[in-house]
Amino acid sequence: MKHVKPINEKAAQAERAADQAAEEGRVEEVQVMQVVVGCTSTFDPGWEVDPFGGIAALCQPMEADLYGCSDPCWWPAQVPDTINTHPDWNADAPSAQRDWRKLQNVFPKK
Amino acid sequence: MKSNALSLALAATLFAGTAAGDAAAKEFILTAVKPNSLVLVDPAARAVHRTYPIKGPGGVLGMVPSPDGKIAYAVTNRWGSLVGIDLDTGEEVFHADFSDGDVRVRNTFGLEISPDGKELFVMQSPVRLGLGEYEVQDVRVAVYRTDAGLKAKPVRFLPVPRRTTNILLSPDGSRLYCVSWDIQAIDPRDGRVLETHKVLNWERKDYAAPDVFGVWNQYEQAQVYVNPYFVQRTDLPATDPAAMKTGMLTLDLKTGAFKMEDFENTSVIIFSSVVNPAKRNETYSVYTTLSKTDLDTNTLVKRVPLPHTYYTINISSDGKEAYVAGTMDDIGVYSTETLERIGEIKMPGGADMGSSWIRMVQR
Repeated sequence: MKHVKPINEKAAQAERAADQAAEEGRVEEVQVMQVVVGCTSTFDPGWEVDPFGGIAALCQPMEADLYGCSDPCWWPAQVPDTINTHPDWNADAPSAQRDWRKLQNVFPKK
Repeated sequence: MKSNALSLALAATLFAGTAAGDAAAKEFILTAVKPNSLVLVDPAARAVHRTYPIKGPGGVLGMVPSPDGKIAYAVTNRWGSLVGIDLDTGEEVFHADFSDGDVRVRNTFGLEISPDGKELFVMQSPVRLGLGEYEVQDVRVAVYRTDAGLKAKPVRFLPVPRRTTNILLSPDGSRLYCVSWDIQAIDPRDGRVLETHKVLNWERKDYAAPDVFGVWNQYEQAQVYVNPYFVQRTDLPATDPAAMKTGMLTLDLKTGAFKMEDFENTSVIIFSSVVNPAKRNETYSVYTTLSKTDLDTNTLVKRVPLPHTYYTINISSDGKEAYVAGTMDDIGVYSTETLERIGEIKMPGGADMGSSWIRMVQR
């Protein structure tokens, strides 16, 4: 990650915390998975791709996987997480396949 | 005289009926739907038996019935609380909120109950919310007494490795198996590590570290934890189809026997598996296909496509029917003999099960 530089104080703070953790030997817990098992965890490639490089092994239909992934913050970049940050995102939409039109985009709080 | 005889006959019938009802427990499926309801399904009738709305926000993740089948304990409220619902009255008889002050706590998949029904074990991941930062705390298994009522607090914490997901008790309650990068058996009284089975850290020659993804509990019928693993062979070029292997990890909760055996070149994704209690060499696995594998020969016996992806699976006590569930609004019933779809149960209101578990209950 040498080519990534912090450009604001918050990012610099995160980098210092990471360096400190490395010095204290506390970074060994992060393990990268060998495969993308069906959908994406936070740092795996996007949910467009299955482990075989195609789309056939993704959840079918996509709606089958939507709430299984919003519940535990599995796709934090793609889907609002209902575990902490956007708890009511699907409160009026108990069926993803039927009610998806009620789901809204989310925006950062001002 | 006639009415007396009739009364006696009626009384005799009622008495006999009650006695028979107590003796013959019926098998139900327990699951949950959004926004926040438990669902008891009668698989023989192919119908929803009863729905139990839970107060407050959902969604329900894990659930476990009490050993006597009277109460269902479920994680809900954004995975921040554990409730106990009386399956006869529908009333909430147990409630524990995990967060406390500035420490926000969430359940991360593990939930278990002791065989005597007296203690609940819940996997917890806490974080202290600072002004401008998150301070991650050590994860732990929190232990609650089931008689602690509606403001239950943990009676002890058991330290476990981070990334622990499934927690599974041996049938005698003496060992709590914690599935993390490796599987640790700990003493549920004090968290002392009794034994470790290596998974990620296995020392298999010419193999990389395996990936294991197991967040659903469905072992209760056979008392065997079975979970697929995916691994790359380091002695073959990555373009070789035999370079990626799928295998089954099995842990017999009663005997402690642990195995990891490959059964095919990776060709489909599998999320959850269950062992047939009547034919213990048979495993049924689900995701977008339903696969039947033989644990004795480590072979795929049969595989059929499913109408959509399902996350989780369970099986009848007689081993004749497999129930695929999770994700959307239907439980599919499959013959374990032929893998034909022989039935379906739609969830109330067409609501999704999402990541909710599916358990078998006798009551």
